[in-house]
Amino acid sequence: MRGLWPIFKRELFAHFVTPLAWVAMTAFLLIQGLHFFLIVQHFAGQLDLSADAGPVQTYFGQTMMLYLPLLFVCPILTMRLFAEERRNGTIEPLLTVPIQTAGLVLGKYLAVLVIYATMWLPTLFYMALLGRYGEVDWHIVASGYLAVIAIGSGYLAIGTMTSAMAKSQLTAALTSAMAITGLFMIGVGEFIFPEGLARELAGHVSAWAQMNDFSRGIVDSRRLVFDATIVVLPLFITVRAVDAWRLE
Amino acid sequence: MIVVEHLSKSYGALAAVSDLSFRVERGQVVGFLGPNGAGKSTTLRILAGFLGASGGRASIAGFDVVEERLDALRQLGYMAETSPLYPEMKVREYLAFRSELKGVPRTKRRADVDRCLELARVSDVAGVLIGHLSKGYRQRVGLADALIHSPPLLILDEPTAGLDPNQIREVRALIASLAENHTILLSTHILSEVEATCSRAVVLAKGRLVAIGSIDELRGRGRPELILTLRGDEAIIRQVLSETAGVGSRVIEPHGEALRATLSLTAEDEAGQAETTERIVHALATATVGIREVRTTKATLEEVFAALTQHEARTENEAEAKR
Repeated sequence: MRGLWPIFKRELFAHFVTPLAWVAMTAFLLIQGLHFFLIVQHFAGQLDLSADAGPVQTYFGQTMMLYLPLLFVCPILTMRLFAEERRNGTIEPLLTVPIQTAGLVLGKYLAVLVIYATMWLPTLFYMALLGRYGEVDWHIVASGYLAVIAIGSGYLAIGTMTSAMAKSQLTAALTSAMAITGLFMIGVGEFIFPEGLARELAGHVSAWAQMNDFSRGIVDSRRLVFDATIVVLPLFITVRAVDAWRLE
Repeated sequence: MIVVEHLSKSYGALAAVSDLSFRVERGQVVGFLGPNGAGKSTTLRILAGFLGASGGRASIAGFDVVEERLDALRQLGYMAETSPLYPEMKVREYLAFRSELKGVPRTKRRADVDRCLELARVSDVAGVLIGHLSKGYRQRVGLADALIHSPPLLILDEPTAGLDPNQIREVRALIASLAENHTILLSTHILSEVEATCSRAVVLAKGRLVAIGSIDELRGRGRPELILTLRGDEAIIRQVLSETAGVGSRVIEPHGEALRATLSLTAEDEAGQAETTERIVHALATATVGIREVRTTKATLEEVFAALTQHEARTENEAEAKR
Protein backbone atom coordinates (compact mmCIF):
# COMPACT_ATOMS: atom_id res chain seq x y z
CA MET A 1 0.00 0.00 0.00
CA ARG A 2 1.57 3.26 -1.21
CA GLY A 3 2.52 5.70 1.50
CA LEU A 4 2.29 3.30 4.43
CA TRP A 5 6.02 2.89 4.96
CA PRO A 6 7.12 6.56 4.84
CA ILE A 7 4.15 7.59 7.01
CA PHE A 8 4.96 4.82 9.48
CA LYS A 9 8.60 5.90 9.74
CA ARG A 10 7.79 9.57 10.16
CA GLU A 11 5.15 8.86 12.76
CA LEU A 12 7.56 6.76 14.82
CA PHE A 13 10.14 9.52 14.59
CA ALA A 14 7.61 12.21 15.52
CA HIS A 15 6.55 10.27 18.61
CA PHE A 16 10.03 9.89 19.92
CA VAL A 17 10.87 13.56 19.57
CA THR A 18 7.80 14.67 21.52
CA PRO A 19 8.27 14.79 25.29
CA LEU A 20 4.71 13.60 25.87
CA ALA A 21 5.49 10.12 24.52
CA TRP A 22 8.37 9.79 26.96
CA VAL A 23 6.28 11.07 29.87
CA ALA A 24 3.52 8.57 29.08
CA MET A 25 6.06 5.77 28.75
CA THR A 26 7.73 6.64 32.05
CA ALA A 27 4.43 6.86 33.89
CA PHE A 28 3.37 3.57 32.37
CA LEU A 29 6.55 1.77 33.40
CA LEU A 30 6.41 3.28 36.90
CA ILE A 31 2.93 1.88 37.38
CA GLN A 32 3.88 -1.49 35.92
CA GLY A 33 6.97 -1.59 38.13
CA LEU A 34 4.88 -0.87 41.20
CA HIS A 35 2.37 -3.46 40.06
CA PHE A 36 5.07 -6.09 39.71
CA PHE A 37 6.66 -5.14 43.02
CA LEU A 38 3.36 -5.55 44.87
CA ILE A 39 2.72 -8.93 43.28
CA VAL A 40 6.17 -10.25 44.11
CA GLN A 41 5.84 -8.86 47.64
CA HIS A 42 2.52 -10.66 48.02
CA PHE A 43 3.81 -14.00 46.76
CA ALA A 44 7.02 -13.80 48.74
CA GLY A 45 4.86 -14.04 51.91
CA GLN A 46 3.00 -17.16 50.74
CA LEU A 47 4.21 -20.61 51.59
CA ASP A 48 2.68 -22.71 48.85
CA LEU A 49 1.57 -21.72 45.37
CA SER A 50 -1.14 -23.33 43.31
CA ALA A 51 -0.08 -24.12 39.78
CA ASP A 52 -2.38 -21.67 37.97
CA ALA A 53 -2.10 -18.70 40.31
CA GLY A 54 1.57 -17.76 40.33
CA PRO A 55 2.96 -14.26 39.96
CA VAL A 56 2.88 -14.35 36.14
CA GLN A 57 -0.81 -15.26 36.04
CA THR A 58 -1.55 -12.60 38.61
CA TYR A 59 0.44 -10.00 36.71
CA PHE A 60 -1.58 -10.54 33.54
CA GLY A 61 -4.90 -11.61 34.85
CA GLN A 62 -5.89 -10.80 38.38
CA THR A 63 -5.43 -7.11 39.14
CA MET A 64 -6.75 -3.78 37.93
CA MET A 65 -3.26 -2.36 37.65
CA LEU A 66 -2.77 -3.85 34.23
CA TYR A 67 -5.74 -2.12 32.59
CA LEU A 68 -5.75 1.23 34.29
CA PRO A 69 -2.62 2.47 32.51
CA LEU A 70 -4.08 1.36 29.16
CA LEU A 71 -7.03 3.68 29.70
CA PHE A 72 -4.74 6.71 29.72
CA VAL A 73 -1.77 5.51 27.67
CA CYS A 74 -3.71 4.57 24.53
CA PRO A 75 -5.52 7.93 24.23
CA ILE A 76 -2.26 9.80 24.81
CA LEU A 77 -0.43 7.81 22.15
CA THR A 78 -3.13 8.28 19.55
CA MET A 79 -4.51 11.76 20.22
CA ARG A 80 -2.03 13.64 18.07
CA LEU A 81 -2.17 11.34 14.99
CA PHE A 82 -4.67 13.39 12.98
CA ALA A 83 -5.86 16.15 15.32
CA GLU A 84 -2.41 17.76 15.44
CA GLU A 85 -1.98 17.66 11.66
CA ARG A 86 -5.35 19.31 11.19
CA ARG A 87 -4.62 21.98 13.76
CA ASN A 88 -1.22 22.80 12.20
CA GLY A 89 -2.43 22.58 8.64
CA THR A 90 0.17 19.92 7.80
CA ILE A 91 -2.71 17.65 6.81
CA GLU A 92 -2.95 19.60 3.56
CA PRO A 93 0.47 18.61 2.16
CA LEU A 94 -0.25 15.10 3.42
CA LEU A 95 -3.53 14.75 1.56
CA THR A 96 -2.19 16.26 -1.66
CA VAL A 97 0.36 13.54 -2.39
CA PRO A 98 -0.45 10.51 -4.52
CA ILE A 99 -1.09 8.01 -1.71
CA GLN A 100 -4.21 6.14 -0.69
CA THR A 101 -6.04 7.18 2.44
CA ALA A 102 -5.82 3.62 3.75
CA GLY A 103 -2.01 3.78 3.52
CA LEU A 104 -2.00 7.01 5.49
CA VAL A 105 -4.28 5.67 8.23
CA LEU A 106 -2.55 2.29 8.51
CA GLY A 107 0.91 3.87 8.55
CA LYS A 108 -0.06 6.08 11.45
CA TYR A 109 -1.86 3.29 13.29
CA LEU A 110 0.96 0.77 12.93
CA ALA A 111 3.42 3.35 14.25
CA VAL A 112 1.51 3.78 17.51
CA LEU A 113 1.05 0.02 17.74
CA VAL A 114 4.81 -0.45 17.54
CA ILE A 115 5.33 2.25 20.18
CA TYR A 116 2.75 0.55 22.38
CA ALA A 117 4.54 -2.79 22.02
CA THR A 118 7.83 -1.05 22.79
CA MET A 119 6.33 0.23 26.03
CA TRP A 120 5.65 -3.31 27.12
CA LEU A 121 9.09 -4.51 26.13
CA PRO A 122 10.85 -3.56 29.40
CA THR A 123 8.29 -5.60 31.39
CA LEU A 124 9.83 -8.73 29.84
CA PHE A 125 12.61 -8.04 32.30
CA TYR A 126 10.18 -8.90 35.14
CA MET A 127 9.54 -12.27 33.55
CA ALA A 128 13.26 -12.88 33.16
CA LEU A 129 13.67 -11.97 36.82
CA LEU A 130 10.97 -14.43 37.89
CA GLY A 131 12.51 -17.08 35.65
CA ARG A 132 15.82 -16.58 37.33
CA TYR A 133 14.53 -17.22 40.85
CA GLY A 134 11.71 -19.61 40.12
CA GLU A 135 9.85 -21.40 37.40
CA VAL A 136 8.03 -19.50 34.70
CA ASP A 137 5.64 -21.07 32.21
CA TRP A 138 6.70 -19.27 29.05
CA HIS A 139 3.50 -20.33 27.24
CA ILE A 140 1.56 -18.30 29.74
CA VAL A 141 3.91 -15.37 29.32
CA ALA A 142 3.37 -15.57 25.55
CA SER A 143 -0.41 -15.76 25.79
CA GLY A 144 -0.40 -12.96 28.37
CA TYR A 145 1.52 -10.63 26.06
CA LEU A 146 -0.65 -11.70 23.13
CA ALA A 147 -3.74 -10.59 25.06
CA VAL A 148 -2.13 -7.33 26.14
CA ILE A 149 -1.23 -6.53 22.52
CA ALA A 150 -4.60 -7.68 21.17
CA ILE A 151 -6.60 -5.57 23.62
CA GLY A 152 -4.26 -2.60 23.17
CA SER A 153 -4.58 -2.83 19.37
CA GLY A 154 -8.30 -2.26 19.69
CA TYR A 155 -7.90 0.66 22.10
CA LEU A 156 -5.34 2.26 19.80
CA ALA A 157 -7.64 1.86 16.81
CA ILE A 158 -10.40 3.60 18.77
CA GLY A 159 -7.94 6.39 19.61
CA THR A 160 -6.92 6.71 15.95
CA MET A 161 -10.56 7.07 15.03
CA THR A 162 -11.34 9.78 17.57
CA SER A 163 -8.19 11.67 16.57
CA ALA A 164 -9.48 11.79 13.00
CA MET A 165 -12.91 12.93 14.15
CA ALA A 166 -11.94 15.56 16.71
CA LYS A 167 -10.33 18.84 15.79
CA SER A 168 -8.31 19.21 18.97
CA GLN A 169 -6.00 16.71 20.60
CA LEU A 170 -7.69 17.16 23.96
CA THR A 171 -11.10 16.29 22.55
CA ALA A 172 -9.57 13.32 20.75
CA ALA A 173 -7.96 12.04 23.97
CA LEU A 174 -11.08 12.57 26.07
CA THR A 175 -13.46 10.89 23.65
CA SER A 176 -11.19 7.90 23.13
CA ALA A 177 -10.64 7.58 26.89
CA MET A 178 -14.40 7.61 27.37
CA ALA A 179 -14.97 5.08 24.61
CA ILE A 180 -12.29 2.76 25.98
CA THR A 181 -13.56 3.12 29.54
CA GLY A 182 -17.09 2.48 28.30
CA LEU A 183 -15.98 -0.68 26.54
CA PHE A 184 -14.19 -1.79 29.66
CA MET A 185 -17.21 -1.03 31.84
CA ILE A 186 -19.49 -3.15 29.65
CA GLY A 187 -17.10 -5.98 30.41
CA VAL A 188 -17.47 -5.34 34.12
CA GLY A 189 -21.17 -6.09 33.62
CA GLU A 190 -20.11 -9.71 33.74
CA PHE A 191 -19.94 -9.43 37.53
CA ILE A 192 -23.07 -7.32 37.90
CA PHE A 193 -25.79 -8.61 35.60
CA PRO A 194 -27.84 -11.60 36.69
CA GLU A 195 -27.48 -14.85 34.80
CA GLY A 196 -28.72 -14.35 31.25
CA LEU A 197 -28.05 -12.80 27.85
CA ALA A 198 -26.73 -9.48 29.17
CA ARG A 199 -24.23 -11.20 31.36
CA GLU A 200 -23.11 -13.48 28.57
CA LEU A 201 -22.66 -10.53 26.21
CA ALA A 202 -20.72 -8.63 28.83
CA GLY A 203 -18.51 -11.64 29.34
CA HIS A 204 -17.72 -11.74 25.62
CA VAL A 205 -16.56 -8.15 25.38
CA SER A 206 -14.83 -8.14 28.77
CA ALA A 207 -11.15 -7.28 28.62
CA TRP A 208 -10.97 -8.51 32.19
CA ALA A 209 -12.31 -11.97 31.33
CA GLN A 210 -10.03 -12.13 28.32
CA MET A 211 -6.95 -11.37 30.43
CA ASN A 212 -8.08 -13.97 32.97
CA ASP A 213 -8.36 -16.61 30.26
CA PHE A 214 -5.16 -15.73 28.49
CA SER A 215 -3.20 -15.47 31.72
CA ARG A 216 -4.08 -19.09 32.32
CA GLY A 217 -2.94 -20.04 28.84
CA ILE A 218 -6.46 -20.33 27.41
CA VAL A 219 -6.19 -18.71 23.99
CA ASP A 220 -9.78 -18.45 22.80
CA SER A 221 -9.95 -17.56 19.11
CA ARG A 222 -13.40 -15.96 19.60
CA ARG A 223 -11.78 -13.36 21.81
CA LEU A 224 -9.14 -12.66 19.17
CA VAL A 225 -11.83 -12.27 16.54
CA PHE A 226 -13.59 -9.76 18.80
CA ASP A 227 -10.32 -7.86 19.30
CA ALA A 228 -9.77 -7.82 15.54
CA THR A 229 -13.26 -6.34 15.08
CA ILE A 230 -12.37 -3.54 17.49
CA VAL A 231 -9.31 -2.88 15.31
CA VAL A 232 -10.86 -3.11 11.86
CA LEU A 233 -14.09 -1.23 12.47
CA PRO A 234 -12.58 1.98 13.92
CA LEU A 235 -9.82 1.99 11.29
CA PHE A 236 -12.39 1.64 8.54
CA ILE A 237 -14.33 4.56 10.03
CA THR A 238 -11.06 6.53 10.21
CA VAL A 239 -10.43 6.05 6.49
CA ARG A 240 -13.96 7.20 5.73
CA ALA A 241 -13.61 10.19 8.07
CA VAL A 242 -10.38 11.31 6.38
CA ASP A 243 -11.99 10.97 2.95
CA ALA A 244 -14.99 12.91 4.23
CA TRP A 245 -12.83 15.98 5.03
CA ARG A 246 -12.61 16.54 1.30
CA LEU A 247 -16.37 16.95 1.18
CA GLU A 248 -16.62 19.43 4.02
CA MET B 1 -2.78 21.13 -18.59
CA ILE B 2 -5.57 22.29 -16.30
CA VAL B 3 -9.19 22.22 -17.34
CA VAL B 4 -11.83 23.56 -14.98
CA GLU B 5 -15.45 23.25 -16.03
CA HIS B 6 -18.40 24.83 -14.22
CA LEU B 7 -16.72 24.29 -10.89
CA SER B 8 -18.59 25.33 -7.78
CA LYS B 9 -18.03 24.90 -4.09
CA SER B 10 -20.17 26.08 -1.22
CA TYR B 11 -19.61 25.99 2.51
CA GLY B 12 -23.12 25.71 3.85
CA ALA B 13 -25.02 28.70 2.48
CA LEU B 14 -21.84 30.52 1.45
CA ALA B 15 -20.85 30.01 -2.17
CA ALA B 16 -17.04 30.18 -2.26
CA VAL B 17 -16.76 29.36 -5.96
CA SER B 18 -19.61 29.43 -8.43
CA ASP B 19 -19.68 28.17 -12.01
CA LEU B 20 -15.98 28.72 -12.64
CA SER B 21 -14.47 27.58 -15.94
CA PHE B 22 -10.99 28.20 -17.31
CA ARG B 23 -8.07 26.41 -18.94
CA VAL B 24 -4.35 26.58 -18.47
CA GLU B 25 -2.29 25.34 -21.40
CA ARG B 26 1.04 23.57 -21.14
CA GLY B 27 3.97 25.94 -20.65
CA GLN B 28 1.93 28.92 -19.47
CA VAL B 29 2.59 30.84 -16.28
CA VAL B 30 -0.81 31.96 -15.09
CA GLY B 31 -1.59 34.32 -12.26
CA PHE B 32 -4.69 33.53 -10.27
CA LEU B 33 -5.90 36.90 -9.12
CA GLY B 34 -8.57 38.14 -6.84
CA PRO B 35 -9.18 40.00 -3.61
CA ASN B 36 -9.06 38.06 -0.35
CA GLY B 37 -12.00 35.71 -0.10
CA ALA B 38 -12.51 35.51 -3.84
CA GLY B 39 -12.25 31.73 -3.80
CA LYS B 40 -8.67 31.41 -5.02
CA SER B 41 -7.44 29.00 -2.34
CA THR B 42 -10.65 26.99 -2.52
CA THR B 43 -10.20 26.48 -6.26
CA LEU B 44 -6.54 25.53 -5.90
CA ARG B 45 -7.39 23.10 -3.10
CA ILE B 46 -9.99 21.43 -5.28
CA LEU B 47 -7.38 21.09 -8.04
CA ALA B 48 -4.94 19.56 -5.54
CA GLY B 49 -7.55 17.04 -4.40
CA PHE B 50 -7.68 18.43 -0.86
CA LEU B 51 -11.28 19.61 -1.18
CA GLY B 52 -14.15 18.15 -3.10
CA ALA B 53 -16.21 20.35 -5.40
CA SER B 54 -19.95 20.81 -4.89
CA GLY B 55 -20.45 20.83 -8.63
CA GLY B 56 -18.62 20.79 -11.95
CA ARG B 57 -15.36 19.05 -12.66
CA ALA B 58 -11.64 19.70 -12.98
CA SER B 59 -8.79 17.77 -14.52
CA ILE B 60 -5.02 17.92 -14.52
CA ALA B 61 -3.13 16.63 -17.55
CA GLY B 62 -6.29 14.83 -18.60
CA PHE B 63 -6.83 13.13 -15.22
CA ASP B 64 -9.97 13.97 -13.30
CA VAL B 65 -9.01 15.33 -9.89
CA VAL B 66 -11.64 13.21 -8.13
CA GLU B 67 -11.97 10.04 -10.22
CA GLU B 68 -8.24 9.72 -11.00
CA ARG B 69 -6.89 11.63 -8.04
CA LEU B 70 -3.62 9.72 -7.66
CA ASP B 71 -2.74 10.02 -11.36
CA ALA B 72 -3.58 13.73 -11.31
CA LEU B 73 -1.47 14.30 -8.19
CA ARG B 74 1.56 12.66 -9.77
CA GLN B 75 1.54 15.45 -12.37
CA LEU B 76 1.21 18.17 -9.77
CA GLY B 77 3.54 19.92 -7.36
CA TYR B 78 1.32 21.77 -4.91
CA MET B 79 2.36 24.31 -2.33
CA ALA B 80 -0.33 25.14 0.19
CA GLU B 81 -0.90 28.65 1.47
CA THR B 82 1.63 29.51 4.24
CA SER B 83 3.41 26.23 3.41
CA PRO B 84 2.69 24.16 6.56
CA LEU B 85 5.68 21.95 7.51
CA TYR B 86 6.75 19.71 10.39
CA PRO B 87 8.83 21.87 12.75
CA GLU B 88 10.56 18.87 14.36
CA MET B 89 12.16 17.70 11.12
CA LYS B 90 15.32 18.90 9.43
CA VAL B 91 15.00 20.31 5.93
CA ARG B 92 16.80 17.44 4.24
CA GLU B 93 14.87 14.84 6.27
CA TYR B 94 11.61 16.50 5.37
CA LEU B 95 12.37 16.56 1.65
CA ALA B 96 13.51 12.93 1.75
CA PHE B 97 10.25 12.02 3.50
CA ARG B 98 8.21 13.91 0.94
CA SER B 99 10.03 12.39 -2.01
CA GLU B 100 9.42 8.90 -0.65
CA LEU B 101 5.78 9.79 -0.06
CA LYS B 102 5.46 11.00 -3.63
CA GLY B 103 6.91 7.77 -4.93
CA VAL B 104 10.34 8.91 -6.12
CA PRO B 105 12.38 5.71 -6.57
CA ARG B 106 14.93 5.09 -3.82
CA THR B 107 17.89 5.35 -6.19
CA LYS B 108 16.85 8.80 -7.42
CA ARG B 109 15.82 10.18 -4.04
CA ARG B 110 19.13 11.54 -2.82
CA ALA B 111 19.95 13.26 -6.08
CA ASP B 112 16.45 14.73 -6.28
CA VAL B 113 16.64 16.11 -2.76
CA ASP B 114 19.99 17.72 -3.58
CA ARG B 115 18.64 19.13 -6.83
CA CYS B 116 15.62 20.70 -5.13
CA LEU B 117 17.65 22.05 -2.23
CA GLU B 118 19.78 23.75 -4.85
CA LEU B 119 16.88 24.88 -7.00
CA ALA B 120 14.93 26.42 -4.13
CA ARG B 121 18.15 27.87 -2.69
CA VAL B 122 17.84 26.17 0.65
CA SER B 123 21.04 24.05 0.54
CA ASP B 124 22.59 26.20 3.25
CA VAL B 125 19.90 25.18 5.75
CA ALA B 126 19.65 21.50 4.74
CA GLY B 127 20.65 20.38 8.23
CA VAL B 128 18.57 22.91 10.18
CA LEU B 129 15.34 22.11 12.00
CA ILE B 130 12.38 23.54 10.10
CA GLY B 131 11.06 25.05 13.33
CA HIS B 132 14.14 27.28 13.47
CA LEU B 133 13.76 28.67 9.94
CA SER B 134 12.51 32.12 8.99
CA LYS B 135 9.29 32.45 7.03
CA GLY B 136 11.15 33.09 3.80
CA TYR B 137 13.14 29.90 4.15
CA ARG B 138 10.07 27.90 5.09
CA GLN B 139 8.28 29.17 2.03
CA ARG B 140 11.19 28.02 -0.11
CA VAL B 141 11.26 24.62 1.57
CA GLY B 142 7.59 24.36 0.57
CA LEU B 143 8.62 25.19 -2.97
CA ALA B 144 11.40 22.58 -2.90
CA ASP B 145 8.78 20.08 -1.73
CA ALA B 146 6.50 20.98 -4.64
CA LEU B 147 9.39 20.31 -7.03
CA ILE B 148 10.66 17.10 -5.48
CA HIS B 149 8.97 14.61 -7.81
CA SER B 150 9.74 16.70 -10.92
CA PRO B 151 6.09 17.41 -11.78
CA PRO B 152 5.32 19.21 -15.05
CA LEU B 153 2.72 21.39 -13.29
CA LEU B 154 3.14 23.61 -10.24
CA ILE B 155 0.26 25.10 -8.29
CA LEU B 156 1.46 27.65 -5.76
CA ASP B 157 -0.94 29.26 -3.33
CA GLU B 158 0.34 32.73 -2.47
CA PRO B 159 4.03 31.83 -2.65
CA THR B 160 5.14 35.30 -1.55
CA ALA B 161 2.59 35.98 1.22
CA GLY B 162 4.18 37.32 4.37
CA LEU B 163 7.68 37.71 2.93
CA ASP B 164 9.82 40.82 3.06
CA PRO B 165 10.67 42.65 -0.19
CA ASN B 166 14.03 40.91 -0.60
CA GLN B 167 12.53 37.50 -0.09
CA ILE B 168 9.70 38.34 -2.47
CA ARG B 169 12.27 39.23 -5.13
CA GLU B 170 14.10 35.96 -4.56
CA VAL B 171 10.97 33.83 -4.76
CA ARG B 172 9.90 35.67 -7.91
CA ALA B 173 13.27 35.06 -9.51
CA LEU B 174 12.92 31.43 -8.57
CA ILE B 175 9.47 31.18 -10.14
CA ALA B 176 10.75 32.91 -13.27
CA SER B 177 13.55 30.35 -13.56
CA LEU B 178 11.06 27.50 -13.10
CA ALA B 179 8.79 28.92 -15.77
CA GLU B 180 11.15 27.66 -18.47
CA ASN B 181 10.13 24.03 -18.08
CA HIS B 182 7.03 24.03 -15.92
CA THR B 183 3.43 25.03 -16.28
CA ILE B 184 2.67 27.23 -13.30
CA LEU B 185 -0.57 28.45 -11.73
CA LEU B 186 0.08 30.81 -8.85
CA SER B 187 -2.41 32.70 -6.78
CA THR B 188 -1.80 36.13 -5.39
CA HIS B 189 -3.51 39.38 -4.61
CA ILE B 190 -0.37 41.36 -5.36
CA LEU B 191 -0.67 42.68 -8.89
CA SER B 192 2.93 43.63 -9.47
CA GLU B 193 3.68 39.97 -8.86
CA VAL B 194 1.51 38.95 -11.77
CA GLU B 195 3.03 41.61 -13.98
CA ALA B 196 6.50 40.43 -12.99
CA THR B 197 6.07 36.70 -13.37
CA CYS B 198 2.99 35.75 -15.35
CA SER B 199 2.06 35.82 -18.98
CA ARG B 200 -1.65 35.33 -18.35
CA ALA B 201 -4.09 35.93 -15.56
CA VAL B 202 -7.39 34.55 -14.35
CA VAL B 203 -9.27 37.13 -12.29
CA LEU B 204 -11.78 36.02 -9.69
CA ALA B 205 -14.17 38.01 -7.54
CA LYS B 206 -16.72 36.57 -5.12
CA GLY B 207 -16.11 33.12 -6.51
CA ARG B 208 -16.88 34.10 -10.09
CA LEU B 209 -14.62 34.47 -13.09
CA VAL B 210 -14.49 38.16 -14.02
CA ALA B 211 -11.69 38.16 -16.57
CA ILE B 212 -9.18 35.89 -18.23
CA GLY B 213 -6.50 36.69 -20.74
CA SER B 214 -2.94 37.78 -21.26
CA ILE B 215 -1.67 40.59 -19.05
CA ASP B 216 -1.69 42.99 -22.02
CA GLU B 217 -5.25 42.09 -22.91
CA LEU B 218 -6.32 42.72 -19.34
CA ARG B 219 -4.54 46.03 -19.23
CA GLY B 220 -6.24 46.94 -22.51
CA ARG B 221 -9.61 46.49 -20.81
CA GLY B 222 -9.04 49.67 -18.89
CA ARG B 223 -9.93 52.77 -20.93
CA PRO B 224 -6.95 55.06 -21.43
CA GLU B 225 -7.40 58.71 -20.55
CA LEU B 226 -6.43 61.63 -22.68
CA ILE B 227 -4.95 64.57 -20.81
CA LEU B 228 -4.77 67.96 -22.49
CA THR B 229 -3.33 71.20 -21.21
CA LEU B 230 -5.05 74.02 -23.04
CA ARG B 231 -5.13 77.78 -23.15
CA GLY B 232 -8.22 79.62 -24.29
CA ASP B 233 -11.83 80.37 -23.45
CA GLU B 234 -13.30 77.63 -21.25
CA ALA B 235 -16.75 77.88 -22.82
CA ILE B 236 -15.33 77.36 -26.31
CA ILE B 237 -13.24 74.43 -25.15
CA ARG B 238 -16.26 72.80 -23.52
CA GLN B 239 -18.30 73.28 -26.65
CA VAL B 240 -15.64 71.82 -28.93
CA LEU B 241 -15.15 68.81 -26.72
CA SER B 242 -18.86 68.14 -26.41
CA GLU B 243 -19.22 68.24 -30.21
CA THR B 244 -16.38 65.82 -30.87
CA ALA B 245 -17.46 62.22 -31.25
CA GLY B 246 -15.78 59.55 -29.12
CA VAL B 247 -15.31 61.56 -25.96
CA GLY B 248 -16.78 60.05 -22.84
CA SER B 249 -16.65 61.79 -19.53
CA ARG B 250 -14.66 64.97 -19.25
CA VAL B 251 -13.28 66.97 -16.40
CA ILE B 252 -12.01 70.47 -17.01
CA GLU B 253 -10.21 72.30 -14.27
CA PRO B 254 -7.84 75.23 -14.02
CA HIS B 255 -4.18 74.29 -14.15
CA GLY B 256 -1.93 77.27 -13.42
CA GLU B 257 -2.84 79.91 -15.95
CA ALA B 258 -4.08 77.24 -18.36
CA LEU B 259 -6.82 74.62 -18.23
CA ARG B 260 -6.47 70.88 -17.88
CA ALA B 261 -8.96 68.57 -19.54
CA THR B 262 -9.03 64.92 -18.56
CA LEU B 263 -11.07 62.93 -21.06
CA SER B 264 -12.04 59.33 -21.27
CA LEU B 265 -12.30 57.85 -24.75
CA THR B 266 -15.14 55.60 -25.72
CA ALA B 267 -13.34 53.73 -28.51
CA GLU B 268 -12.66 50.06 -27.71
CA ASP B 269 -9.36 49.54 -29.54
CA GLU B 270 -6.15 51.49 -29.76
CA ALA B 271 -6.66 52.56 -33.37
CA GLY B 272 -10.04 54.06 -32.53
CA GLN B 273 -8.59 55.86 -29.54
CA ALA B 274 -5.77 57.31 -31.64
CA GLU B 275 -8.31 58.50 -34.21
CA THR B 276 -10.38 60.20 -31.53
CA THR B 277 -7.28 61.91 -30.19
CA GLU B 278 -6.50 63.17 -33.64
CA ARG B 279 -10.04 64.50 -34.08
CA ILE B 280 -9.99 66.28 -30.74
CA VAL B 281 -6.68 67.97 -31.41
CA HIS B 282 -7.80 69.00 -34.87
CA ALA B 283 -11.09 70.45 -33.59
CA LEU B 284 -9.34 72.37 -30.83
CA ALA B 285 -6.74 73.75 -33.22
CA THR B 286 -9.46 74.81 -35.66
CA ALA B 287 -11.15 76.69 -32.80
CA THR B 288 -7.79 78.42 -32.18
CA VAL B 289 -7.41 76.96 -28.71
CA GLY B 290 -3.78 76.86 -27.59
CA ILE B 291 -2.65 73.26 -27.10
CA ARG B 292 0.29 73.01 -24.72
CA GLU B 293 0.34 69.33 -23.96
CA VAL B 294 -1.34 66.13 -25.15
CA ARG B 295 -0.74 62.82 -23.45
CA THR B 296 -2.50 59.56 -22.82
CA THR B 297 -2.29 57.46 -19.69
CA LYS B 298 -2.47 53.71 -20.01
CA ALA B 299 -4.64 52.04 -17.41
CA THR B 300 -2.60 50.14 -14.85
CA LEU B 301 -3.43 46.57 -13.98
CA GLU B 302 -4.41 47.89 -10.55
CA GLU B 303 -7.13 50.06 -12.05
CA VAL B 304 -8.39 47.25 -14.25
CA PHE B 305 -8.39 44.90 -11.28
CA ALA B 306 -10.22 47.38 -9.09
CA ALA B 307 -12.79 48.05 -11.80
CA LEU B 308 -13.34 44.35 -12.49
CA THR B 309 -13.58 43.15 -8.92
CA GLN B 310 -15.55 46.11 -7.59
CA HIS B 311 -18.06 45.86 -10.37
CA GLU B 312 -18.64 42.26 -9.43
CA ALA B 313 -18.99 43.13 -5.77
CA ARG B 314 -21.45 45.91 -6.61
CA THR B 315 -23.74 43.79 -8.73
CA GLU B 316 -23.65 41.19 -5.99
CA ASN B 317 -24.72 43.76 -3.42
CA GLU B 318 -27.47 45.08 -5.66
CA ALA B 319 -28.79 41.60 -6.19
CA GLU B 320 -28.66 41.14 -2.44
CA ALA B 321 -30.56 44.39 -1.87
CA LYS B 322 -33.27 43.39 -4.32
CA ARG B 323 -33.78 40.18 -2.45
